[in-house]
Formats: sequence, structure tokens, C-alpha cells
Amino acid sequence: MTHLPIGKIVKSNSHIDYVCQVFGQGETLHPPAPSAYGFGSFVAVELETAGEPSRALVGLVYNTLLMNPEFGALGPRLSPRSEVEIFSPDYLAETATLLGVIAIGWLDVVGQVHQGVPAAVATVNCLVRRLERTELLTFHADDAGQPQLRYTPLLLAHNHALVAPLLLAVIDQLGELFPLSRRRLTVMRNNIAWKSIVQPAG
Amino acid sequence: MNSQPVQPIGTVKGPGETPNDYLLIAPDPERRVKHGEFVYYLALIEGETREILGRVTGRRPVKLLPDSFLADPGVPPATVAALLGYESEATELFEITVRVLGFHSAEMGDFINPRVPPVGGAPVFIATDALLGQVLNKRPRGGRGSAFLGSLLSRPEDAVPIALDVRGFTGTHLAVIASTGSGKSYLAGVLLEELLMPHNRAAILVVDPHGEYSTLQEMMNLGEFSEGNYKPRVRIFRPDQLRVRIDSLTVGDLRYLLPNLSEKMHYQLGRAFNFAQRSARNGHYTLEQLLYAVRQTAESKKESEGFDEDDPTTGALVWRLQSALGHSRIFHDFENLELEALFKPGQCTILQLNEIDRRDQQVIVATLLRRVYQARMDTAKGKLDRGDPSHLPYPVFCLLEEAHNYAPANADAVSSEVLKTILSEGRKFGVGIGLITQRPGKLDSDVLSQCMTQCIMRITNPIDQNRIAESIESVGRDLLQELPNLSKGQVVVSGASVNTPVLIKVRRRITPHGGQDLDAPAEWLQWFAQDRAAEQARDQALFVEKKIQYEDDGDVLWA
Repeated sequence: MTHLPIGKIVKSNSHIDYVCQVFGQGETLHPPAPSAYGFGSFVAVELETAGEPSRALVGLVYNTLLMNPEFGALGPRLSPRSEVEIFSPDYLAETATLLGVIAIGWLDVVGQVHQGVPAAVATVNCLVRRLERTELLTFHADDAGQPQLRYTPLLLAHNHALVAPLLLAVIDQLGELFPLSRRRLTVMRNNIAWKSIVQPAG
Repeated sequence: MNSQPVQPIGTVKGPGETPNDYLLIAPDPERRVKHGEFVYYLALIEGETREILGRVTGRRPVKLLPDSFLADPGVPPATVAALLGYESEATELFEITVRVLGFHSAEMGDFINPRVPPVGGAPVFIATDALLGQVLNKRPRGGRGSAFLGSLLSRPEDAVPIALDVRGFTGTHLAVIASTGSGKSYLAGVLLEELLMPHNRAAILVVDPHGEYSTLQEMMNLGEFSEGNYKPRVRIFRPDQLRVRIDSLTVGDLRYLLPNLSEKMHYQLGRAFNFAQRSARNGHYTLEQLLYAVRQTAESKKESEGFDEDDPTTGALVWRLQSALGHSRIFHDFENLELEALFKPGQCTILQLNEIDRRDQQVIVATLLRRVYQARMDTAKGKLDRGDPSHLPYPVFCLLEEAHNYAPANADAVSSEVLKTILSEGRKFGVGIGLITQRPGKLDSDVLSQCMTQCIMRITNPIDQNRIAESIESVGRDLLQELPNLSKGQVVVSGASVNTPVLIKVRRRITPHGGQDLDAPAEWLQWFAQDRAAEQARDQALFVEKKIQYEDDGDVLWA
């Protein structure tokens, strides 16, 4: 079963750095639960253009941002929230949850998966959905069925404060997907944990 | 040969500083990669997978918990890391330097260096006990020509027995170098035990200046040493049994024994010596005949056909010869230590030289070595018949304790020359020398460098360490650095008798050790023991006063 969309692309900061707005109340029949777009979640950005070799971008949620126009308006309210819901529901819809999504690969039209910088570009309003477990497994397995993390340099080059915890979260997920390869994943995990936890603390 | 081990202990990082080194990275949580440990990687050499053996020579941490995590001795640093979220036990990583020895070629009997560093990322394994036992020894333990000294230090006791190749050190000589108290006499004892085992049955002479080796006599009664009708024999010559016949001394020996000779005396002694040799029957002459020769060759003799007692040179020479040789119990007119009594296969002869003046010791050793060497040469060349007392139809091995006394550096000793000759030429005629010294710095460097097998124990003196480094090429720098840190009974063996330098823990001796230090406090306490009270009282009692009788003139008559 394909996951329901959790949001849509609203902006990008670079070729691989997209902003996804999570569907709120009223925008979809089943607004996603916060656990569906947690930190380190793998998502697919469905591309709308037909005839392109790429079907979807594979992205990783690396950041979350809450938008609230009401923030800072400290004056007295003329109408309480219960009334606003009735008289001007659009005003409430102005609050939004934004996700920072980094594109780390793509799915092509024949169902092949690729890690790395995608050539295709997502457009505004492209739908974003959670990647399925089987897709996740396929995306990370190489021809020999061993896990691959070829997008790691991409993440490290992203130079974001949350990259190290992101990688640790990804490796932990892969550990469950590839129990037989846990030993080599542990080497990588220890290395990242050492550099991000122990060395800065020393 | 290609037994695949279970787990590698590290991974090759790349080449090291020198062409023979490579680096590996190992977490080594169980601390198995010790200094001196043997490790190997697999490489394809001429179509065959070979184990390329190497020795660990250095260890450097590349990953350690930060110092600030160690602030409280009561808190293990790993728990601090766990507190922050680093819960892995992998908190250390080491860069290990390995000196490549090569793969062991059974045909060559030696290691062959592949001369190319291993592939980066290749797994490295700890060499198994069985592999080491096979490749480190030239001969199997207990086999003919093997001397089992002990086991490899980096492994549990007896896991990898190390046996020296007896042929190696009896042919190209042996040096045992160790500071006092590090167990050199013990090691020599072990070596002698092995040489007299049924599988070796060597003909050995031990020069023992301290009388430490008499306990070897126990060998004659122990079952371990006998096989069939073979039983080793240990013969001890005590100082009062030593004899050097005067006519076996060379003019050099005489000059060495006689102190403060003037130029004239040197000249006259040389002439007298030649005279004595010319006029001797069968080459034998006595002290009296030598003195006669001195008188006959006096300068004044030429002028006045008669000996002039007042000739100062002749008088002084006669006096010196008499005091040096005439009053000695060692230098004798007729008796000599016969070689056939000293050397026999399966016999260890111990010459106890304690209580003998050092110069006399040197002359005894020099004359003996000269005679042994001559006898072996003459026997080898067929000059001696079977009945001749000097007939020595088998190779011999001479072990010299306190060897720096017989070939001192920067000093002249009568024994130096013959020792050097034997060390450089003795191999051809089957005369092997073993030198034991506690001061290699005092030993002649030529002598030391001629010993192709070395057993080096703890050495702390830097001068001695430098001398070893100068004279012995086979011991690497890494092993030399180990020398001050060795414990009692640990020895570095290198050279011709082993395939590669090894660090050994010397095995237990079968016979008791005779060279222990005196236990002074125990002896003092013994003095106060109950059963010695009477003896003590007797020793300390005052003499009874006795009336002294005087003669008439006041002299004491008797007391």
C-alpha cells in the first residue's frame, strides 16, 4: 500500500534542498500524524512531468520549521479561537509545518533506484509521501543485497548542524533493515558518533 | 601451511617508514598485538598463497577517549562517553608498525622477503602457535642438533618452544650478553644441559672463573640425560688440579707473565726461548732448562766464557721467571691438562679458575685454546695419529665465562689473539667458542662481532647497549630498545641459530642452578638460631688467661 501524501513542495533553497509544507486540517481528508514526517524520515517527491526518466525524487527529512503569523501579535484578541474557526478559518490555515527535505536519490520510471544527486527537479506543489519499507530496502540495497550509503558525502557537504544526528538516525534504520550487515554499519555509526559526540565534548 | 585463521586482528593501512615496514590499524580490545608479536597477511607469491610473517615493532594510538573524560579516576571514561550517547565499546584504535620478515621457504630454510608492501585493507592475523613453532626454529625441539632454550615470550609458556640450531652456534660461535643478575649463568646452564642431551652429546669445555657450574654434575644421575648406554659425563677440574706445562707457553705468554721487562730483557728472553726450544728433546723442557737457556744467552757470556752472576739483565730475568713460574702450582715442568681428558663427546669439562690470578687465568685459557686449535688443525690435516694425546677427531665447543677478561677492549691480554684467530678461522676446524659477558662494552668489538649467534638479556648500561648495536647487525633497533626492559630469564636470541630474532623466556633448568647470590640476611639470622647458640658462645668466648713463662733473659719461653 502506497503511503498517503504528507505534504507538497512549496520552495527550494538549492537543487537538492527542498521545503515541503505538511498538509494541515482542511487540506486533505487524512492529515498526516507528526510521526509520519519525523526527523530522518525517507520521503518520495512525486514528479509531475510525464515522459521524464525520473518518477520521483528520494528525500530525507533533515529539518522542521513551524510557521505561525500570529507569533508576535501580543495585543488583545478581538475574537477568540473558537469563533475564528467559524468566521475566518483561512486565518487558522496560515499556520504551517515546513519540512526541510534533502534530495538524496531518485526512482526512475522502470522502478530502478539511484543514490546521489538527481538530475530531475521537483516543482512547486509536487506531492510528498512517506517512502515505503520495500522502497527503502530497495533504495539502500546494492546489487549484492548489501546496504549502500552513497549519499553520505552529500549530507556531510550540506554543512548543517543536524547532519551527524541525521546520519546516525539513518544508520539505525538501516541496521533494522539489514540485520546481517549490522557489523559494517556499526563501524560507520561509531565513526560518526565519535566525531560528533565524543570529540566535540573532549 | 595455509591454515585460515578465524578472525583477523587488524587491517593493513599502508607502507611504513622503511621499505620493510607496514602499518596496520587494530582496535585490539584484548591486547593481543604485543610488542614483538608475530602477525601475518596473506599474499599471492608465484601463484601460491603465502603467509607473510612480520614482527610488531611499534604501537601508537590513533583514537583515544579525550583526556578530559579521565578527570575523575573513579569514573571510567567509557561511562562518560556513554553518558553523552556514545555507547560503543570501541573507544580505542591503534596504529601498529610491523617489520616484514617474509614467508618461510622450506627449501631455503629461511624467510624470503616479498619486497612489496601489502595491499591496503588486507586483513592481518596473529600467527598461530603451530605456524611459529614451524617457522621460527631451524630444528624441531628434541631433534638432533637442537637446543631447546625456552618458549616465545609473547605466547603462554610452552606454547611456542624455541630450539636453537646447535650447528649454527658451535660453528660460528655464540655470545651470551647480560648484566649481572639477569640470568646469564642460568641460560648457559640450560644451554649446556641441552648440549649434553642424548640428541646432541657434545664435547664441551667450560671456563668457569666463579665455580658456578659444578651443579651440572647432577646431569650424570638424571634420567632425562641418558638414553640407552649413553650418559653424559661432567668432569670438574678444581684450581689445584690445573696444570700448564712450561714448555707449552709461547714467548708471548712468558712476556705477559713476567712483569716490567726492559727492552734488553725482552730481547734476551726471546733468545733464551729459542735456545730452549732448539736444545729441548722432543720439544719438552723444564723451567730449569729455560733458566739455563737464559744464562746461556746472556750478553756477557759471549765475552767471558762463563756465566757472570752480576749480569743485571740475566739476574732480573731469572728472578722473574722463577717468581712467576717456579712458585706457581699451575705452571709445571712435566704435567699438562691433556686434551683427550678434557674433550670427549658427551663430556662437559669444567675448569674452575676461581682463586687464580687474572693474568694466570688468561695464560691458562690462551695456552689451552691454542693447543685445542692446533690439535684440531693437525687432526683435520691428518698430521696426528690416533694414539697421539693431541688427537682430537671431533669438533669441540668452549664456553668462556667473563669473556671480557680474555679479550678486553682497549687493553692487551695474551688470550685475545688466539681467541680472535679461533673466532675467525675456528669454523673450518670445528672449534666453537661461546662467550659469556656482562660487560660487552669491555669486550673487544672484533671478538663480539665474530659471534654469529647472540643471546642478549637485560642490559641497562648505555655503553654496553651501544657496543651491542655496533657489533651485532642482526638485532634490530626495535629489539635493542627492549633490552633494558627485559626481566630475569628473558632473552633475545638472534643470529645464525634461529630463523629470525626472537624474544624467549628461558626454560627451567633440570639441574639446580649454582650461581645464586648469597642471601646475607638469612645467613645473619642463622647466626642467632637456637641450635647455634652453643657454637656462637664458643666462638665468642674469651681465651683463658695463661701464665706466661719467661726465660732468664726476659724472652718468652712458651705461652
